[in-house]
Amino acid sequence: MTSLIDESRPDDTKEFARAEDQDRPRTIAAGLPPSDHVFRAIVRAIGVSVLVLTGSIGLFLGYQAIPTFKRYGFSFLTESQWQPQLDKVGISAVLLGTVIVALIALLIGFPLAFVTALYISEYAPARWKSVAISMIDLMAAVPSIIYGLFGFAFLEPHAQDLARWLHQNLGFIPIFKVDTDPNAASWSPAAYFGSAFIGGICVSLMIIPLACSVMRGVFSLAPIGEREAAYALGSTRWGMVRAVVLPFGRGGIIGGTMLGLGRALGETVAVMLVISQTFEIKFTILSSGTNTTSALIASRFSEATSAQLAALLTAGFVLFLLTLGVNTVAAVFVSRSRSGAGVEI
Amino acid sequence: MTAPDSVLAGLDFDATARHRGGANLEAHNVSAWFGSNKVLERVNLTMPARTVTALIGPSGCGKSTFLRILNRMHESVPSAKLGGEVWLNGDDIYAPGKRITETRRRIGMVFQKPNPFPAMSIADNVTAGLKLTGMRVSRSARADLIERCLTRGGLWNEVKDRLHAPGSALSGGQQQRLCIARSLAVDPEILLMDEPCSALDPTSTRRVEETIAELAPDVTIVIVTHNMQQANRVSQQCAFFLAAQGTPGGIVESGSTAQIFGNPRDPRTADYVNGRFG
Repeated sequence: MTSLIDESRPDDTKEFARAEDQDRPRTIAAGLPPSDHVFRAIVRAIGVSVLVLTGSIGLFLGYQAIPTFKRYGFSFLTESQWQPQLDKVGISAVLLGTVIVALIALLIGFPLAFVTALYISEYAPARWKSVAISMIDLMAAVPSIIYGLFGFAFLEPHAQDLARWLHQNLGFIPIFKVDTDPNAASWSPAAYFGSAFIGGICVSLMIIPLACSVMRGVFSLAPIGEREAAYALGSTRWGMVRAVVLPFGRGGIIGGTMLGLGRALGETVAVMLVISQTFEIKFTILSSGTNTTSALIASRFSEATSAQLAALLTAGFVLFLLTLGVNTVAAVFVSRSRSGAGVEI
Repeated sequence: MTAPDSVLAGLDFDATARHRGGANLEAHNVSAWFGSNKVLERVNLTMPARTVTALIGPSGCGKSTFLRILNRMHESVPSAKLGGEVWLNGDDIYAPGKRITETRRRIGMVFQKPNPFPAMSIADNVTAGLKLTGMRVSRSARADLIERCLTRGGLWNEVKDRLHAPGSALSGGQQQRLCIARSLAVDPEILLMDEPCSALDPTSTRRVEETIAELAPDVTIVIVTHNMQQANRVSQQCAFFLAAQGTPGGIVESGSTAQIFGNPRDPRTADYVNGRFG
């Protein structure tokens, strides 16, 4: 071929130089039709606006937090009291309360959500399965104020009995200590009223449906080929679940749990109704009184002056960073697992 | 090739003696339904020990359904029903009181699409069946078993240096041989293979066919295949399935492979094996 071109176009050396250079990646234009360009522009604009929205919330809160941090410095994070009239403002107690309530909710909610998801996806008979799924979805749709009312009117009295029982039997563990005699003939329920334990139970009711439906969704995606491989080896159902469903669903288990944790950290109304707000740093989860960041903000918001509002916004900013951190960690875990593609967090 | 008896040396389950040389599998009047749709009608077939039986026929004639009935995988589909009996060495595997897990362990299965457990290493994949069925082996017996099963599966030389690499890192053909090794580890008497080579390249296909030939003296093999040459190469006995439009499938003709391919009695069999339809 070369000789042929050589003869016909003897002085066209430029062409050859170009042809020889061609052993490298070329720049290729996409060549999309105009309709695709328009569609892409619209979708991209909307997609970016979501990022801008989230980013601007963070920036706004951060900007609002500057004066408060300037005024109180590091003591904003270490001070436990919230008494603007005495110029004592800090979030250590509410932040600790937030984390404790969320962890209790997770400790109670995770096993229930996990086992329920496993039951629905692997064991429930087909007809009952769809009923159970819609019940769980319904549970997720119930407004949190309803959980708060239910928690206050129904759970609170019963949880006090449970708290007393825990106090009687596990009171030697420091976190189960309460400043009252659990074996007294006429015991006072007030000592257990509005504790972190009760707040956690109430929040767990709200994270169960969320965590459960994420986990169930992922479990049901476990590849049928691997399920059959396990069965064909003579596996029991539980063996198959352990060998196939759980390793596959790892991302969903973590993702669902973290999603629940995110909600637990931010849950406001229900917690406000069941807890009795205090501002002390305490690790005793059964004794009366606790607090969370969002409950603080919600309860002080209406009566706040502009300086107090700025302090509340700062507390909100810290909560924002906390949930951002939790979700980022979750996203890292989930993206490393196989089923991660199917999980939204 | 390791001597078959030594494959189980050191294992503390007593399956070894029971089925030296494989087992007989007989299907009696097997019918199958999905919902109200009958897909298989009164299939009778004997699959004797030390024999490779090939099930051939066009798509949708019930071969795979029949194969899945042979190790009770059929009933895992919610609407699936079946009739008739399947005898493993004279015992009906569907008899009340027969444990489904034990039946499936004794009658292993290799699927069309290679399906190693991706979260497990190559070695763990081989011994997965032991764990799943609650069999315990000592550490040295385990290493032995892994080597012997992989050798019988024709994969040992390719993976002996990376037994702890994930099973999903292997090529498709290697994954399929890993699946064969995995099903051998629980010491099945019968091995069912559902188009085991349809997703493989010619070289891997040849390796799997060699493996089948090497296993045949110890394990009864039933293989579904769409590849006439393959059926001719690997099997000693052949059953031709066919489903006429709108009717359930069934066996048109069965017999020795030489007879089915060389001198078929039914004109439809002759047409099919000579590639005139299907």
